[in-house]
Amino acid sequence: MIAQTLRHAARLALPALALTAGAAVSVAQDAEKIVIEAGRVVTPTGPIENGVIVIENGRITALGAADEVEAPWDAVVIGGEDFTAMPGFVEAHASSGLDRANENIDVAPFLNIRDSIDPVAYFFEDCLRWGITTVNVQQGNNCVVGARGMIVRPVGMTVEEMMVRPEHGLKMSVAPKTRKSRATQLQTLNRAFSDLRRYLEELVQEKKDGGDRARREALYQGRDLDGENAEGRAMGGSAWKVEGLELVPRGEIDEKQEPLLHLIEGRYPAYIYCRTPMDVHHALDVARENGFLARTTLVIDDGCWKAADVIAEAGVPVVLDGDQIHTERDSFTGKEKETFVPGILHEKGIRFALSSTNSDTDSLWFQAASAIGFGLEPEVALSSVTQTPAEILGLGKEVGSLEVGKHGNVVLFSGDPMSITSWVEHVVIEGREVYDRSKDVRNTHLLDGTRPPGTTAPVDEE
Amino acid sequence: MKPTQVLAVLLFATPSLAPVAGATVVGTSTDADATDPVPATAPADDDSWTIRADRIYTAAGDPIEGGVVAVKDGKISAVSGGGSGTLECAAVTPGLIDLSVRIDTGAYSVEQADETPIALRVSDALDLYSYRWDRELRSGVTTVLANPEDKAVLGGLGVVLKTGGEPTLDARVLRQDAVLRGSLGAEPSSGNRPPRGSGPSTFYYRRPTTRMGVEWILRKSFYDALAVERTGEGATPELEILQRTLKGEVPLVIQGWATQDIRTAVYLKEEFSIPKMFIDGAAEAWHEPDLLVRSGAAVVLPPFRFQGGPGTDGSFYAYDTAARLQERGVMFALSGHGASDPVMRLNKQPGYAMRGGLDFADALAAVTINPARMVGVDDRVGSIEVGKDADLVLWSGTPFEPTSRVIGVLLNGELVLDPRESNQ
Repeated sequence: MIAQTLRHAARLALPALALTAGAAVSVAQDAEKIVIEAGRVVTPTGPIENGVIVIENGRITALGAADEVEAPWDAVVIGGEDFTAMPGFVEAHASSGLDRANENIDVAPFLNIRDSIDPVAYFFEDCLRWGITTVNVQQGNNCVVGARGMIVRPVGMTVEEMMVRPEHGLKMSVAPKTRKSRATQLQTLNRAFSDLRRYLEELVQEKKDGGDRARREALYQGRDLDGENAEGRAMGGSAWKVEGLELVPRGEIDEKQEPLLHLIEGRYPAYIYCRTPMDVHHALDVARENGFLARTTLVIDDGCWKAADVIAEAGVPVVLDGDQIHTERDSFTGKEKETFVPGILHEKGIRFALSSTNSDTDSLWFQAASAIGFGLEPEVALSSVTQTPAEILGLGKEVGSLEVGKHGNVVLFSGDPMSITSWVEHVVIEGREVYDRSKDVRNTHLLDGTRPPGTTAPVDEE
Repeated sequence: MKPTQVLAVLLFATPSLAPVAGATVVGTSTDADATDPVPATAPADDDSWTIRADRIYTAAGDPIEGGVVAVKDGKISAVSGGGSGTLECAAVTPGLIDLSVRIDTGAYSVEQADETPIALRVSDALDLYSYRWDRELRSGVTTVLANPEDKAVLGGLGVVLKTGGEPTLDARVLRQDAVLRGSLGAEPSSGNRPPRGSGPSTFYYRRPTTRMGVEWILRKSFYDALAVERTGEGATPELEILQRTLKGEVPLVIQGWATQDIRTAVYLKEEFSIPKMFIDGAAEAWHEPDLLVRSGAAVVLPPFRFQGGPGTDGSFYAYDTAARLQERGVMFALSGHGASDPVMRLNKQPGYAMRGGLDFADALAAVTINPARMVGVDDRVGSIEVGKDADLVLWSGTPFEPTSRVIGVLLNGELVLDPRESNQ
């Protein structure tokens, strides 16, 4: 399955190569076995000196010291003793790589981020450059109820090739959308759920009364009313229930209302954006009242550390969308006070992921290194950009660490991964080398200003 | 007790410091304290410290492995290998120096009546109570060059000062009238407009409106200064400053980000034989290392840009700019522009230069001894040497790495950031 998907994928790391995708595809087809050698392999049980990683059909099949692991004789070998192998970084929440991250309509769960993802966006190319191999793409924070998101690998010429998990997560925001007051934001968010409830109750009543308006509308929407969709099902989920929903064939439920019902019934996790500590309370209330608290991840700005106790009590994980250092000024003394947010989150026992809201100083390796600098234990810092985000995305057994059975997502650094002088030299996603710095035209340009012939200057993203 | 001591105690008070503060209040002589045989591990009085570091980066020769820096009466009194200290850290460096700190009083302090307010002093407009000095100090920057805002062609005189101490110019200034600040590029003409529909006599008419106009005003200023020199007539305070610049007594600092502005600055230096000049914000210095070598102009590089460009005036800042200038022997310093973002401040900039290929020692020099030399204060600051001001930065690990942070700062021998607090 994975190999099949990969078969169509082409190298995205180099825009120049993208034009000759045909050639790259044939290379990809042959590389079903790959052996990665590294002077140091970072694993959950500690580093392996002079290690070898064997990846077959996209998965890690063997991992260990060079003299203990038997590598297939016919595999492609990359790396060497100068490199350090790290698991690919996992971006727990990003609103990049999209054609416009925000939607005008307040409540738009019927939208799908799939339709906005741009496979050749500079963001995805840059993800590879910094060693990010899994990205959870969600609608921007400027929404009430946003679209359904998607987990992708940042490589592929089409969204389908990039896809890891379709329809993953539903984005919401408690922080006021542009031109909304906090009160109307909350009202709109709560009303989305009460509207759903009233709609479902009316649907049940209509069915009891023998009406067929819903059926005709469903046909008009072009919905499939056969098979599973022809059957009704009692309302799932752990919150409020609409009695008699089993009377309504699932296919007859309006597609604009369906995603929120799915959220309540447990099909999607929720990503709720909070800008200020007060937002945290509201976000948790909405999740609790509608029964999806257990599947909620808070996407928080740095100031939300003040609500750390509330977050810890609710037991939800968070993605830090803001700066690691929260700065505020005392209005009396004028003095600046700086708070190291990941430190507080860790101290309170909150599971958290760091995120790279853009791709320069905020990229994940740099975020982890900085967090260590500010005082976080190295293991926690590394986990916050690998295993923890993988678990938040429900991919804890697939990605996030170098272990036998997991996806072969490996980043080779030129030296100590957390040192400022190290570079990402190679990136392997599911057994396929998708980035090689020696061929990275844009990196050469950034490094020494020379622009190879036939290439154009980088264009700033929106 | 000096106000800074009060500040230090208030901000970083530890139980161990409290008796010392009390002792000072009741009038115990600090000199008497120092002569007492104080055990090395006990907290010393506020005027003397011994700092034990796994590595001492002196910026004056090779680093010392496992040594001690002793501080007394605001000066460095001894540097030696081995020994123990009252303060401990992984590494110690000299206090950092930023020649482009860009702390000023904002656009409202720009003189609108004149494009060349040469005799204005930025020190008259600095708010020494601003929290931004403290931010620099806490991140390890102890000496800065503050310049007038870049809205005029020749904006006035810059000042070199410490970022802490009593909030008076007397206490903080290292060098008054340290540089004459000029600016090229789009900034000095931005907002100006030609006299549309009315004569140039209108109140709203301001020159220059083009890059050409900016350069013309610069050259005219220096021509006027030469003319006064020749004829001995028409001297003004402004022209006197220009004459001092032409003699090399006051270095000229020109802001120029893009290649064309760097070229213009170099040509100006050569045309008027200006002995001392450095180009601030020179993002595209990597384009013209030969010109810089030929003219002897020094450079202050702007904060690093991870995406390269476009920066101010459309400039592109290559990763290896610093490494390339070092290789060619161009004198340069790094700067932080007073960033609020912790990862963009001066204490991280040498790391980014190292990412572009610069050696550690050269990166250290670019934020310590080089800038000190460029503004002529290297007799006081810029390296860890006996007799210099005790401005020291204590680090949790290898300096400039993202995995390290500044855990302690001493300014003029006073502990303004306590490593025993930061370690907790």
